[in-house]
Amino acid sequence: MSNSFVWWGIILYIIASVFIAYLSRSGKEASMSGYFLGNRKMNGFVSALSYSATTYSAFMMVGLAGLTYRGGVGALGFEIIYFAGVTLVAFFGPRFWLVGNKYGYVTPVEMLGDRYSDKMVSVVIAISSCIFLIPYSAVQLAGVGYLVEGMTNGGISFTTGVVIATVLAIAFSFIAGIRSVMWTDSLQALMMILASTAVVLIVIQGLGGFSSFFGTLEQNYPEKLTVPGNGFWSFATFLSMTVPWLFFSLSNPQVSQRLFMPSSMKSLRGMLLGFLGFGLIYTMVSVLWGFSAVIIFPDLENPDVATPYLLSSELVPTVLGVLVMVAIIAAAISTIDSIMLTLASLFARDVYGNLRKGADERRQLAVGKIIMPIIAVMAFAFAELQLDLIAVLSVASSAGLTVTVPAIIGAFFWKKGTAPGVIASVTVAGILVMVLELTGIKPYQLGSGVWGLLVSTVIFVVVSIFTKAPEEKASEFIDYINEELKQELKLKKVK
Amino acid sequence: MTNREKFWGVICLLVILSAYVIPYTGLSNVEKWYGSFLLWFVVGIVVILINLIITRDWRS
Repeated sequence: MSNSFVWWGIILYIIASVFIAYLSRSGKEASMSGYFLGNRKMNGFVSALSYSATTYSAFMMVGLAGLTYRGGVGALGFEIIYFAGVTLVAFFGPRFWLVGNKYGYVTPVEMLGDRYSDKMVSVVIAISSCIFLIPYSAVQLAGVGYLVEGMTNGGISFTTGVVIATVLAIAFSFIAGIRSVMWTDSLQALMMILASTAVVLIVIQGLGGFSSFFGTLEQNYPEKLTVPGNGFWSFATFLSMTVPWLFFSLSNPQVSQRLFMPSSMKSLRGMLLGFLGFGLIYTMVSVLWGFSAVIIFPDLENPDVATPYLLSSELVPTVLGVLVMVAIIAAAISTIDSIMLTLASLFARDVYGNLRKGADERRQLAVGKIIMPIIAVMAFAFAELQLDLIAVLSVASSAGLTVTVPAIIGAFFWKKGTAPGVIASVTVAGILVMVLELTGIKPYQLGSGVWGLLVSTVIFVVVSIFTKAPEEKASEFIDYINEELKQELKLKKVK
Repeated sequence: MTNREKFWGVICLLVILSAYVIPYTGLSNVEKWYGSFLLWFVVGIVVILINLIITRDWRS
C-alpha cells in the first residue's frame, strides 16, 4: 500500500479525534476525581465503548491475530478465558462502585491502602503497577510500529509509527483528562467494530465463503483447529498464559479504576454487558483474521505482521484497509492514554500524596500532569527494544499485576487480611515474577503468572494470620457492602 | 456474599473449567470448525448470558 494513503488516513484520524477530544471538555477540571474519573458521572454506553477500547488494544487486532497465525485455535481459547474472567466484574463491580462512592476513592490502589489502613500498601502497589504497566504500554506502541511498517512495506518506519502514537497519547490525555480519553475511545471503538467486521466478511467471501474457508483450514492446516495443535499450545503454556488473563479485569488498575466511574449501578451494568457484546465480536474477528492470514500468507516469519499483510492484501479494498489501520492505531493509543492517566493518578495520589505531607488535590493534579509524558517516554524507549511477540509481552506484564489479586479479593471477602500480608505478598511475588521473566526460567513448565499468583496467595494468607488485622476498618468496609447489597435484594422482593 | 452470588459463582467456575478441560481432552483430535473453535465460541455466548442474569436487577 502506498505511503500517502496511510498518511492521509492518519491525518484525518488526528483531525477527527482532536476535535472530539476538544468538544468533550466541560470547563476546567481542578479536582482529582473530575480529571481522572469524569466526576463519577459517566453513562453506560460511553463507559462500555471506552472500557472496550482500553482493554482491546493493538494487542487484540495485531497480537491475537498473530497468535492465531502462530498456534491456531488455542488463541481463541486464550482470549475466551479472559472473556469469562470479565464476569468478575459482575461480582466485584458493585463492591468497587459502592465503596468508591462512599469513601471517594480515585484509584483502586487508594482503596486498598484505606481498607488495610496503611498508606504503605498504596505506595507499594502503585509502584509495582507502574513497573509492570510500562512494558504493557510499550506493547501498544510496538503494535502501531509493526502496523504502519507492515502496511507500507517499510515505507513508514517502525519508529515513526511509535513516535506518532506516543505524541497522540500524550495529547489526548492532556486535553481533558479522562473525559477526552473516553470520548475518543468511543469514536475509536465504534469505528473499529464496524470496519473490522466488514474486513472479515469481505476476506472470508474472497476466500470462497465460510465453508470453503474452514474447508481449506481443515484440509491444509488441520493442526490449527485443535490444541495443542502444532505444539505451541501445550497445556502448560495455555495455563501460564491464561491465568494472568483470567484476573485481568481486577488486576489491571486502568480497567478496575473504571468501576468507580459509572453514574449508577444501571450504568455499570450497561458498561459490563456492552463490553461483553463488543468483546465477543472483537475476539472472533481477530481470530478469523489470523486464520485468513494462515491461508493467504502461510510463510510469514513474524506472526505479528499477519494483520498488516492481510489489510494491505488485494482482498481488502484500500479505503477499508486504511480505515481499519487507523482504527487499530487509535485502539493502541486509547489503551496507552488510559494507562497513562491511571499511572499518573496512582503516582500523584498514592505515591506523592502519601509520602509528601500537605500535598493537596491541586498539587497532586499538577504532579499527575507532569508524570504523564515521563511515562510515555519510558514506554517509547521500551517499545524501541522490540523484545518479543506482542501477545507474549502483554501476558508477561499481566503476570506481574496478578500478584495483587489476593489482596484485592481479601479486601472484600476476608476481614483477617493485613497490611503486612499485602506488602509482603506483592513485593516478594512481584520480584519473583520479574526474576522468572528476566531469566526465562519456567519451573515445571509453568509461567511466571501462575507462580506469582500461587506465591502471593500463600504469603498473603500466612503473613496475615500472624499479624494484626485492622478489624474496625475491615468490618466497617465489608459490612457496609453487605448491608447495601442486602438492601438491593429486599427492594427487589418488595417490587 | 449473597447465596445468589454463590450459586452463579459456582456456575461460572464450571463454565471456565470446561473451557480448559474439554478442548484438551474430548476435542483434541477433532480437526473441524465444530471442534474447539465452536466450543469456545459457545462458552463466550454462555458467559454473556450468565452476566445478563447476574446483573438483571442493577438499577439507577
